Amino acid sequence: MKTEASSKTTTIDQQNAVPTPEARGKKSGRGISRYMTVPGLLVSLFVLVIPLLVALYMSFTNWTPTRGTLLEANLIGFENYSELLFWDNRFVHAVVRTLLISGICLVLEFSLGLGLAVLFLREFRGKSLLFSAFLTPMMVLPVVVGYIFWMLFQSNGPINQILEIIFGAEAAVQWFRSPNHAVAAVIITEVWHWTPLFFLILLSGLKSIPENPVRAAIILGASPGQVFWRVVMPMLKPVIIVAFIIRAMEVIKLFDEVFMLTRGGPGSSTETISLYIYKLAFNDFQLAYAAAAAFLVLIGSLTLIHLMLLPVRDRLLEGNR
Amino acid sequence: MTEPKKLTRLQAIILLVALILTLFPIFWIVMTAIKPPTDWNASPAIWIPSEPTLINFKTLFDPDAIRAYGVGGVSQAATSAVIGSIIASVTATLLSVSIGLFSAIGISRYAKNSKWTPLVILSGRMFIPAAIAVPFVIIFSNIGLTDTYTGLIAIYVAITLPFSTWMLKSFVDDLPREIEEAAMIDGKSRLAAHLTVTIPLIKGGLFATTMFIFILNWSEFLFALVLSYSNINTIPVQLAKYVTATAGTLYGVQAALAVLAMLPLIVVGYFIQSHLARGMTFGAIKQ
Amino acid sequence: MSKPKLELVALRKEYDNGAVVAVDDIDLTISAGETIALLGSSGCGKSTTLNMIVGLEQPTSGDIHVDGQSVVKIPAGKRNIGLVFQDYAVFTSMTVYKNLAFGLEIRKKPRREISKAVFEVAELLGITERLKIPARELGGSELQRVAIGRTLVTKPDILLLDEPLSNLEAESRLAMRRELRRLQQEIGLTIIYVTHDQIEALSLANKIAVMNAGKIVQVELTTEICRRPGHVFVAGFLGSPPMNLFQGRFKHHADQLYFEHGVFSLNLSSTLNLVSIPSGRVILGVGPESLRLVSPGSGDASGLVSRVETMGSERVITVEIGGQAVHILDSAAVLPPRTEEAVDIAFDLNTLHIFDADSNLRIDLHETKVDHCEPAN
Repeated sequence: MKTEASSKTTTIDQQNAVPTPEARGKKSGRGISRYMTVPGLLVSLFVLVIPLLVALYMSFTNWTPTRGTLLEANLIGFENYSELLFWDNRFVHAVVRTLLISGICLVLEFSLGLGLAVLFLREFRGKSLLFSAFLTPMMVLPVVVGYIFWMLFQSNGPINQILEIIFGAEAAVQWFRSPNHAVAAVIITEVWHWTPLFFLILLSGLKSIPENPVRAAIILGASPGQVFWRVVMPMLKPVIIVAFIIRAMEVIKLFDEVFMLTRGGPGSSTETISLYIYKLAFNDFQLAYAAAAAFLVLIGSLTLIHLMLLPVRDRLLEGNR
Repeated sequence: MTEPKKLTRLQAIILLVALILTLFPIFWIVMTAIKPPTDWNASPAIWIPSEPTLINFKTLFDPDAIRAYGVGGVSQAATSAVIGSIIASVTATLLSVSIGLFSAIGISRYAKNSKWTPLVILSGRMFIPAAIAVPFVIIFSNIGLTDTYTGLIAIYVAITLPFSTWMLKSFVDDLPREIEEAAMIDGKSRLAAHLTVTIPLIKGGLFATTMFIFILNWSEFLFALVLSYSNINTIPVQLAKYVTATAGTLYGVQAALAVLAMLPLIVVGYFIQSHLARGMTFGAIKQ
Repeated sequence: MSKPKLELVALRKEYDNGAVVAVDDIDLTISAGETIALLGSSGCGKSTTLNMIVGLEQPTSGDIHVDGQSVVKIPAGKRNIGLVFQDYAVFTSMTVYKNLAFGLEIRKKPRREISKAVFEVAELLGITERLKIPARELGGSELQRVAIGRTLVTKPDILLLDEPLSNLEAESRLAMRRELRRLQQEIGLTIIYVTHDQIEALSLANKIAVMNAGKIVQVELTTEICRRPGHVFVAGFLGSPPMNLFQGRFKHHADQLYFEHGVFSLNLSSTLNLVSIPSGRVILGVGPESLRLVSPGSGDASGLVSRVETMGSERVITVEIGGQAVHILDSAAVLPPRTEEAVDIAFDLNTLHIFDADSNLRIDLHETKVDHCEPAN
């Protein structure tokens, strides 16, 4: 609409032979303005593209810091990749574990966030204050979140204290000693940290849903539940997908909280992809191998997110007009 | 007009429980930060300190202060971490937002939107930091940027640039082009029009973006962890180091540092809460 | 007509604890099979009235009867009253079929019964070929059909339409108007619809209730309302251009009755029954077709032409008389006056409407012979 309007003005102005900014702009090129995106492109080139290319090259070598410079390293083709995919159980487990943790986290965060958002459609006192309060967790830095929950989950910490009060003395759990409990601790931490983001996005989505289809459904006899599942949820779908993508992108990189909570332990029972790659690169100095792992994960997650993005890409574009 | 519905009693209770669950961890860290050393690791845990104290905060900047309580093992002040965090986050934020602002205007006003742009930008965010860190460490060690703020800031700018660009672009998009064109009819060049018309009009958005990028930079952990040896330090790195401190766990001091780290973010977050959704979703969700 | 289908009894809606009165104690009776238009400008309370009838809003006081039973306590969706929204509010995420089937699926009807009903309604509305298409791909008048069909499938007793034609293009508006009239004849539904467009009201409804500021100012058969507007508001609202209203007073002088306007004066003795008319402030309504342009000096009032507009075979001439814009309907065949030209106008004294200046209600003095606004077909 807008472009149509502005092109219309241009034609009229040209007829009147008045130099419009548009016409003037064309004559003088667009001046310096044309190069406004150059700094951003340069930064991206030097600080993102080149390192990525280096990493890509590296992933086809058997280089480690002890074997001279990267250029002297041997090219070994896809050996790192096949090793990762077919022989490296720890990698495969890390991937499966990360997907599992991500899946559980997303479902919980979505359900809790949605429930909370629905409550916020109602009227009550102190709503704006409570809104801010519920957003607090997502403002806390991940390392601090990890540290807070590390304290809360200590065997003499408050969570066990509360469990003992409610379920008796045997209910206390050595959270970081058993694999299952450690994974649970990671999930609880993550859910506390990021449910507010789902809440925020879903609430803004719910508020922007037109009122009349909802009212139409009520008049046609739908119960509140039917209205919600049959009318509201389908209209909320694009927003839900956006929320899932945004969160999926982050949770797949899960590192800081786990680093603070368990360092991947006990054993490697809470080791995420990020943590495994970190350990490969900076504890074991298998840099080339780590780079290959990173690219595998990138390809995997890109495919996954592209699939999720398909139904809403237009909307995302529209948002960015 | 329809009348808004009120909360039922059950819903009010659910809301209250959710509120308690949300705020309890924050309450716990703040309480721990003002606990005297005897309360730190008491069994059962002490919820509200018997004698609230600021000694933990003092210890952050003066490691000897805690000695009076008979606690050793704090070998290093957190001063360098606080200063380091401020240097890295503030500089990187200003750079990222300035560069992003130009890119945002450029893309919004002069570039045709490609269907793939969002995906490309999103992919940039999806690469696992631990993996990008690998080539960085190699390149940086070759050009002497490891363990320097310059190197750390360069990475911070690069990883936050997609966020600042896209968030600012969504604000520029909200402005009608005609506003700048009017200024150009007055004889201003395009660049001057952008500087004197566009930028003042998105002041609010610029502020929100700056704060949002600051939150991202201030929270960053992994790059700081792998690029710092002795010269540079940030609060998250310092916090992680304390967890493995040999002298057992310095709960109170760590909690004090954690509180110090999260306080500015919570304040900043409240200021820009209406723009958080936009920032987090690359402008896909406005409001 | 048959027995009352729907009755509104002193229906009232207040907002903000009485600070705003949206609907002000309205009474209205609608017979079965009747089509009634709630006509009024936006904000007059007509949509609120619809919302209360259908159950989306609770009245502050008053009652709503359907077939003699109060329905105020019955929740929306159980009253068997359908509402079609101005923006259609079609479920864009569903196919046309799913939209039509919605009401019956909600009621857990057997699948065969649903598809039979859906096909029947789709046939009736001519959207059978569109059933499999997602509703978001439809255009304006098709959306309208889906919205109406979605309601018809549930076989409502009463159908409420909120501005049914205002979102449509001019062409589809005509077609849809014909369609609605056909539906109303074929199914014999009781229809209430809200509109701000008098032509729509005149062409679709057999009765019109004119609303203003939360009140119903006149309920009248469509065929009657233009001939005998019962209220100043109705007179000033209907017709295009609407009736000219002159504030003035009646004066008896030497056995003659005069209308004194300030700028001009009319001797009405020849047409009105002198005895029954009191002196006092009145409003004189004169349709634009009851005024003629005459040469200066020979008319009842004089003024300057301020505007001339030709529309088809007719021409609207605006004349400034004492600061008031007076509209005159003239044939386009004659030579138009120039703007700023001084003219006289003559009143057709047989077609005057007189209203009490205090109550704004009509004073019936004689039978008006001319239709002030003919329903367009």
